[in-house]
Amino acid sequence: MSAITSFFKQPLIVALILIVALLYLGQSLSPGFASADQILRLLIVASLLGIVAAGQNVVILGGREGIDLSVGGVVSLSAIIAGNVMNGADGGILPAVLACLTAGAFFGLLNGLGVTLLRIPPLVMTLGMLGVLQGLLVVIRQGIPSGRAAPGLSAFVTQPFAFGIPGIIWLWIAIGLFMALMLNRTVFGHRIYAIGSNEHAAYMAGVPVRLMRIGLFMISGMFAAIAGLCLLGYSGSSFANVGEQYMLSSIIAVVFGGTSLAGGKGGYTGTMAGALLLVILQGILTTVNIDESGRQMVFGATLLLLMLFYGRGRAMRA
Amino acid sequence: MSKLRLNGVSKAYGATLALRRGDLEVAAGEVHVLMGSNGSGKSTLCKIIAGSVRPDGGQILINDKPVTISGPQSARVAGIGIFYQELSLASHRSVEENICLSALPVKAGLFVDRAALKARAARYIALFLEVAGEGFHAEALVGNLRADQRQLVEIMKALASEAPILIFDEPTSALDRAQVDRFFEILRDLKGQGRGIIFISHRMDEITAIGDRVTIIRDGETIETLKLSETNPATVIRLMVGGASDMPAARSSAPAVVQTGAKAAISVRNLSGKGFRDVSFEVAKGEILGLGGLHGQGQSALLRAIFGAGTVTSGEVTIGGERYDARSPRDAIRRGCAYVSGDRGRDGVISGRPIIENVTPIHYLRDRLMVARPSSLRDKAMPALEAMHTKFASLFHPINSLSGGNQQKVIIARWLIDRPDVLLLDDPTKGIDLQAKADLFALIRQLAAEGLGILLYSSEDAELLGNANRILVFNGGSVTRELTGDDRTRYNLYQAAYEAA
Repeated sequence: MSAITSFFKQPLIVALILIVALLYLGQSLSPGFASADQILRLLIVASLLGIVAAGQNVVILGGREGIDLSVGGVVSLSAIIAGNVMNGADGGILPAVLACLTAGAFFGLLNGLGVTLLRIPPLVMTLGMLGVLQGLLVVIRQGIPSGRAAPGLSAFVTQPFAFGIPGIIWLWIAIGLFMALMLNRTVFGHRIYAIGSNEHAAYMAGVPVRLMRIGLFMISGMFAAIAGLCLLGYSGSSFANVGEQYMLSSIIAVVFGGTSLAGGKGGYTGTMAGALLLVILQGILTTVNIDESGRQMVFGATLLLLMLFYGRGRAMRA
Repeated sequence: MSKLRLNGVSKAYGATLALRRGDLEVAAGEVHVLMGSNGSGKSTLCKIIAGSVRPDGGQILINDKPVTISGPQSARVAGIGIFYQELSLASHRSVEENICLSALPVKAGLFVDRAALKARAARYIALFLEVAGEGFHAEALVGNLRADQRQLVEIMKALASEAPILIFDEPTSALDRAQVDRFFEILRDLKGQGRGIIFISHRMDEITAIGDRVTIIRDGETIETLKLSETNPATVIRLMVGGASDMPAARSSAPAVVQTGAKAAISVRNLSGKGFRDVSFEVAKGEILGLGGLHGQGQSALLRAIFGAGTVTSGEVTIGGERYDARSPRDAIRRGCAYVSGDRGRDGVISGRPIIENVTPIHYLRDRLMVARPSSLRDKAMPALEAMHTKFASLFHPINSLSGGNQQKVIIARWLIDRPDVLLLDDPTKGIDLQAKADLFALIRQLAAEGLGILLYSSEDAELLGNANRILVFNGGSVTRELTGDDRTRYNLYQAAYEAA
């Protein structure tokens, strides 16, 4: 009995059951919702979210109220940078990747420095950074066309790449493997959990806590930048605040996957399931004609509900 | 008539008997001193009177009438005011508001009566005005005050309760001479008004200066009540120590091998920093140097500073003959320093993570590892854990699944994979079981025999007497006495700890 209950209390299992249930619900609401083509499309959208959530995940795991609210801004900025650098030419893809990663790392670095050296709480620091990024987007876009995706990039995101599956889904799987290895089999990964579980004990055991934390924000910025690039490939051209939705949804995906907002507990596998779940939920809401504002309300309520189930007691208490 | 009387009051926390039998009688117009070593039950006794701890048994009488004290509020109603050792001030509020905090004057049943509050606070501030020092005034924020000034506010707050029975739990620890003198004058006034005062201090000179009677507590039991005018400090200390106080530490307890010829494992010259000043000593390879004295006299601060987790303002440390300035624990670990804290929940345990991740962090750093391969880590971790006789089901179970003693063994094992040169032990056996303590000290002696230099601070005197080759007794942040050879007795240790420097 208790073995069964504890099995069903694992966030990953809960998420997987919910995924199947939601697919079934979607199929019954609108036949064709769970067709192979549709599922591939959902997976592409989930990959974009999942890549952003990977960065969000490590920042949250690092504890001390770690959270990155600026990811949406970095996604938008990266999409604009990529569009302008490549401007429809395949030859521009590599420079665009480098430019985006640099930008993501740079804003992550600023977040990390603000949080560690200036001791600004992550919530405030990254929210401020989001404001800066949004302002920057307005400035950049004045009178300048926002650029177009290279055909190669669009194909990578939307067309089958190997075994009939688009490249971005392979990329997401690769990131999943990378995250699993990093978190479980590297010293860096163990140190992420250590600072998230007990920062002071980690410090006393010689973990370079500040450097680690700066690194985590940089990783988050870089993952958001990759997602922005792929998002450009998905939509063809970038428009303002294309990444806005990722702030809330990346956090929900992480929490859905069983990572504690208090840090030190969780992993990326659950987050992947969480991202998929959210995207399916979004698909169903679209199917039943609920508009963007309605979807945001449902997402917000979902996060609060999740906190009720997983987060009560320990979470958010330092 | 007695103001306050306790008859056979007891309190247990789980299996630990914090107070076995407390008998106490405080007369009107007396200062009654409570004395006992760390953990003897003084604070529990005070907390019972103040209502913050409920007793399991016994009787409390106020003015010869039995009372039930169900909480701090009911204690206040019963006429008891307390000065808390760990300050209970609101740091963002002003001095005057803090003084009146427990009973803010109110007008119209709703609004704080500022004029009345100011008037009331001014009475108590005036008492200490001449000795409070710069920057102390009614509107000053408590958070901006110096430590001694905050302690004065706490005293004023206790006085403002105007309670017939007042408890002062170490009220003078941060005060200077003039402030203490002024405080004692006030206490004498209160005595004259017929109040009953309970006073706890570890300074023998203060106790003889202000106390009328003293009650000695040992191992959770009130042993005896004496008139201070009819006794002397030596008698009081002997009562606190109990039997066998003059026996030197067993000779066999001292580890045999001290490599005196070689360079010192660690030497400290004129080291000052936050919480300690002008400390000098050398620890030879193979030696265990004990740090003794009352709790919080600078021992922990010194050990943490050597480990790079505190502040050093002047002086120097050398390890193996080389100058050493640790700016962080990371530096210290690279230079061969190890630190084990008794507060493992804060300083040691990476909670919720597997045992293996709790054993390996030092190994990661010292071997500059990037990849954590479970199989090779297991080979490193197992011998270290076995050396401590650690009991666990699997390396991959969370550390929280272990008992406190076994958790501490895991924390110590992390230092054994790559051997340090210097081991700093900061009350390492706090809250662990007897078997784990025995295992720990067996290991410490073995490490000393292997040539490590070991610094041991312990709040349990028996551990110091039984394991240290020499003991430095700390008082107020500096070393006041060194005990070697046959001088290492409980009596000498207590005397050095309690006598003012």
